[in-house]
Amino acid sequence: MTTPTYHPAVTTARDGFGQLLRAEWTKLRSVRSTAWCLILAVGLMLLISMLGATGSTTDVNESGPNRVDLFHFVYQPLTGDGSVTAHVLTQQRTGPLARAGLMIKGGLEPGAPYASIAVTPARGVRMQANFEPDVAGTASGAPVWLRLTRTGNSITGYSSADGTTWREVGSATVATLPQKAQVGLFVTSPPTALRIVRQGGNTETSSAFEPSTATFDSVDVAPVSPAPVAAWSDLDVGKPGPRVDGTPATGSSSESGGTFTVTGAGDIGTLPPGGDNDIVRDSLAGVLIGMIAIVVLGVVFMTSEYAKGLIRTTFTVSPRRGRVLAAKAVVLGLAVFTVGLFTALAALVLTRPIQRRNGFEAPAYPDPSLADPRVLRAVIGTALFLAVLALFALGVGTVLRRAAGAITLVIALVVVPSIIGAFLPMNTELWLNRTTPLAGLAMQQTRDRFDNAIGPWAGLGVLCAWAAVALGLAYWQLRRTDP
Amino acid sequence: MSERWRAVHMEWTKLRTVRSTAWLLLATVGFTLGVGGLAAWAVGTTMCPTPTGCAGEDTPRLALSGVYLGQIAVVVLAALAVTTEYGTDTMRLTLAAYPRRGIVFAAKGTVVMALVLGTGTLGVLGSLLAGRIALPGRRFVEANTVPPLSLADEPTLRATIGTVLYLGLIAVLGLGVGMVVRHTAAALSTVLAMLLLPQMIAPLLTNEHWREWVLKASPMTAGLAIQATKGLDSLPIGPWPGLGVLAAYAGSAWLVGAALFWLRDA
Repeated sequence: MTTPTYHPAVTTARDGFGQLLRAEWTKLRSVRSTAWCLILAVGLMLLISMLGATGSTTDVNESGPNRVDLFHFVYQPLTGDGSVTAHVLTQQRTGPLARAGLMIKGGLEPGAPYASIAVTPARGVRMQANFEPDVAGTASGAPVWLRLTRTGNSITGYSSADGTTWREVGSATVATLPQKAQVGLFVTSPPTALRIVRQGGNTETSSAFEPSTATFDSVDVAPVSPAPVAAWSDLDVGKPGPRVDGTPATGSSSESGGTFTVTGAGDIGTLPPGGDNDIVRDSLAGVLIGMIAIVVLGVVFMTSEYAKGLIRTTFTVSPRRGRVLAAKAVVLGLAVFTVGLFTALAALVLTRPIQRRNGFEAPAYPDPSLADPRVLRAVIGTALFLAVLALFALGVGTVLRRAAGAITLVIALVVVPSIIGAFLPMNTELWLNRTTPLAGLAMQQTRDRFDNAIGPWAGLGVLCAWAAVALGLAYWQLRRTDP
Repeated sequence: MSERWRAVHMEWTKLRTVRSTAWLLLATVGFTLGVGGLAAWAVGTTMCPTPTGCAGEDTPRLALSGVYLGQIAVVVLAALAVTTEYGTDTMRLTLAAYPRRGIVFAAKGTVVMALVLGTGTLGVLGSLLAGRIALPGRRFVEANTVPPLSLADEPTLRATIGTVLYLGLIAVLGLGVGMVVRHTAAALSTVLAMLLLPQMIAPLLTNEHWREWVLKASPMTAGLAIQATKGLDSLPIGPWPGLGVLAAYAGSAWLVGAALFWLRDA
């Protein structure tokens, strides 16, 4: 008589992870509430993004070029042709684009025609005229010798390392330059900080200036036709802007033994049309709302098993509870990431025509392209944000086991910063946006804005930390207590 | 004891003996006090151009801003009062014991409202007191034309009473929606979305008319206009009309919930 060999019907636990994944995927796909959550998330994200685009208009492209002409000028008249030379000894680095150099200007009022050559701390020597884009010269900063030469309406700029061998930087034609122009030294420094003022319960922000100081020597004005030596005068061209503390950032100058010390703040040129809206982030703004459905999905994916007692069956089939949690996390994360990625792409495509119709078009707002790494990061980052948020919700749901408590807690954490932040001081609001799970939304930034609380990847890291803590607690809870 | 009071007593027993109720009431007071205190502490006159430049700061509103968080606990309390009965099938038992559905729903409303108004008053008065203590430390003092918080000030009194009423209306909204959808997760998401999302969408709208319309027509943003004591002209909607908007939402949710309760099988 032979005894039949016993073959266990159940495969051992180690082999079963694939089956576990399949089981969780079946649950996600076939349970009505989780399927609804995904559909709702997609619908809400697209709908709200399009609504936001429809409700946002701009006329920035119609307002024309935005000229700024603000600097401190030490000048004397120059009639007819001639040249002005100076040796820039030092330049204070208030920002990368502070300028110290020479200028020939048709008048002392802002907007008067001019040509200038200047040195910057970060971009070397630049020649600029008529508020047009500047031309680059040598890449080194101060000390440097600079010279401007006028021949009729044509102005040529030179730079030199030693004051003897000169190199031409560029030349410009200033058509409306009068016969008698003002020439001399100028110093300016674009805004580098933000001035935050709270007034009437609202926080207002504006640019703040910090004057830069530069020293010059060997200053020489050489008219072609002989003229008597003129005295130097100085003034701020344009109305000085505010410093961080609100006092005006006025310029000044002094001279001793042939060395000029000049201080000034401002900017010269044509600013790009003044829009600083992050249109990619605006296109993806529906995520703020769609994430609610994702939070509910993450929570319910676990708590519904507890509510219906299904969790006992699940654990009977797969007694190793950590693996169940891992399978759930993998299925949920991948599903939400995929859905999030397609929704983000769709939102970008669907909102763009609306934005264009409402004035958000080139030149101020060119069409975003996925070839731009920031745009790509925003799209993938949106999907990552949603996926990690879902994992955070899954963790909280597993710890609390009740949908009501878990949904409330997660929504409170992700939503409240953007709601109570609105009437708190700016720094408190930014602090909330840095520390709560909502920090992950920083992945959507594609422009440097003053209200960016945290860098994109750092923000996602904050969210990941929340998710890791929640899932860690969930694992501990699953091992410790019976369902 | 009249029959109606028996229904109220029944609901009171159910709510009293559920563990989450006490926690949620504690959370209502704690959130309201905590966030209100944080807001009062975070703001100082040093951010204004001059010490008196902060005169426009709406200090009562700031001290009462904790309701933004406190209301979430109220929503959960109200929704759970209905949805757990469906989740655990207690509703069939309740209706077997007491078949008059209109009275059952009204009794539920009475008990939840009484609890919410009671704890709401506690949280709101506590927040005012916290603000009264904390704000002078942030240089919001009489000399800077910001008087201390006081119920004798008529707008402050309106903000205080209005905030308590606001929490009561939120409870009505939660009960109504809970009765319509009969599912905890769905009810919470619906009510919280209704309340919180418009405030999040509004800043995204650069079009002035759209933004104002959203703030005017949404239950939370309109309802909390009742907290404003300064700059009333620049509000999208006035204090009492704003609370009226919320009352309309809450009333409609309640009526639809009551009608469905009456029409549907438990």
